[in-house]
Amino acid sequence: MKSIFEKGRAVALLLAAAALAGCAGQQAAGPAKASDFSEWPCLSSSLPCGKLATRKPVQQALAGPLNGDPARGKALANERSKGNCVACHLLQGAEQPGSKGPDLRSYGSWARSDAETYALVYDMRSRNPDTVMPPAGTNQILTDQELRDVVAFLQSSK
Amino acid sequence: MAEKHFSLSALALVALVVTANGQAADAEAYREFYPHVAIDPARGVAGGADAEFGATLQYWQDEQALEQNKGFIGQVDQEWKLNWKFMDLDRSDDMHPGYLALEKAEKLFKFWVKREPEFRACLGEGKTDLTGLAAGYPKYDPKLKKIMTVESRVEHCAQTALWENFRQGTPENNLISLYFKSLSATAPIKVDTNSPEIMASYKRGEKLFYTKVGQYNFSCASCHTSSGLLGQRFRGQVPTSPFADAAHFPTYRMNLGDIESLQQRFMRCNLQARTKGLPPGNPDYTDLEVFYTVLSNGYPVSVPSAR
Ligand code: HEC
Ligand code: HEC
Repeated sequence: MKSIFEKGRAVALLLAAAALAGCAGQQAAGPAKASDFSEWPCLSSSLPCGKLATRKPVQQALAGPLNGDPARGKALANERSKGNCVACHLLQGAEQPGSKGPDLRSYGSWARSDAETYALVYDMRSRNPDTVMPPAGTNQILTDQELRDVVAFLQSSK
Repeated sequence: MAEKHFSLSALALVALVVTANGQAADAEAYREFYPHVAIDPARGVAGGADAEFGATLQYWQDEQALEQNKGFIGQVDQEWKLNWKFMDLDRSDDMHPGYLALEKAEKLFKFWVKREPEFRACLGEGKTDLTGLAAGYPKYDPKLKKIMTVESRVEHCAQTALWENFRQGTPENNLISLYFKSLSATAPIKVDTNSPEIMASYKRGEKLFYTKVGQYNFSCASCHTSSGLLGQRFRGQVPTSPFADAAHFPTYRMNLGDIESLQQRFMRCNLQARTKGLPPGNPDYTDLEVFYTVLSNGYPVSVPSAR
């Protein structure tokens, strides 16, 4: 019975070493800069953030031509404090991609319009109310221009 | 005069309507909920066998299962099925960070109990043998008229018996809670699901588990149920089943180099989903802890552990 815990301990020591080396494995996907996020709804029944309304699903139209920069979009999609899309998706050039969302490495050949893509990334709840995908536009995770850049990156992924 | 009187009451009426509306708007602030899964609290940890929660119980329910599946350790797409239970090092005799933390905890406990024997009696609610008591937490305390967690009992007893302020989340509280809980190691968790106060708290905690909050609009369930991210890679991490999680807290957290309570872990998960974390001991986190611990009912307390 002892052996499994010995193996556990070996992993524990490895993890401890990793933590000492500064690569804190468990700190993925967090924001880059500390913030208290009290401007967003929280689980409290007494603090003001507990009373804040969740922003309702939005079906956002794309105004004018896309004008996005795919290279910037790629960086935004990868950056933890920005799109953080690779937390769930396989994207071209992604490091440590997640596995929950569909593989988007060849999204550009899906023949989806810019407008539809923009609307989905802006707020996926417009298509699926139970989605786990964060509403990047509605909840101001990305700005309008940043959304355009990310859409341009997806469309260029072939 | 009459006119003035009229306008004053009209003003009062307007004020009344505004307050009423304000309150109504407060109570009904738009909120979304992640799809609920039917959980039978009477089943305790056995719910970990359900597909909605990854159906992983068979891999970690006891030492034999862990031994059989130890090949999963270190494989990203398999390891999560062990629910980190191979890190419950209370069953190994070797020295590890969890034990080192426990040694320190025991010293601190003995220091205070020597100075103020009343501290022990307070923790035991009159009993001086604390063995097995922590396995019954969280519990409703009819004298204090409150749901008490191990941590809030320690805070309360430090105040009343020691005149010390060991607030929840402080190193002193975590150390003494760790020691108190270690005196129940291997005892099956038995939160009293016949208590109406506990079940009211469980229901509130269950609702919180599915409440979507924060900039990401995530609920606990978004990450810790199978229709969400459970068992899926979220960057490098793979969220695991909530069943039996409560058993190994407080735990020694490697990457923090410190002891972490269950509610401090809630805080970290909230922050990770860009949500304001609540201070340890907050009543809403206590409800969530009751919910989580009922999902551990029947599983042995596994302290000291490391994660
Ligand atoms: C927490 C997980 C998560 C994150 C983060 C996430 N997504 Fe998604 N995404 C999903 C899931 C799951 C789906 C599947 C659709 C659904 O949920 O209904 C999806 C679907 C999509 C689709 C549509 C694919 C299809 O099959 O039609 C696009 C496009 C997309 N995501 C882009 C993005 C972009 C761009 C970002 C970052 C700004 C992002 N996603 C962040 C989980 C995520
Ligand atoms: C963004 C995804 C995400 C959200 C939202 C989230 N968690 Fe977690 N949680 C994780 C990950 C990843 C881990 C580390 C892997 C694991 O042990 O599951 C974790 C770990 C935990 C653990 C420790 C498990 C252990 O064995 O040590 C607890 C307890 C926990 N979460 C509870 C919660 C609660 C309660 C909420 C809601 C308030 C919540 N989580 C929300 C992703 C999340």
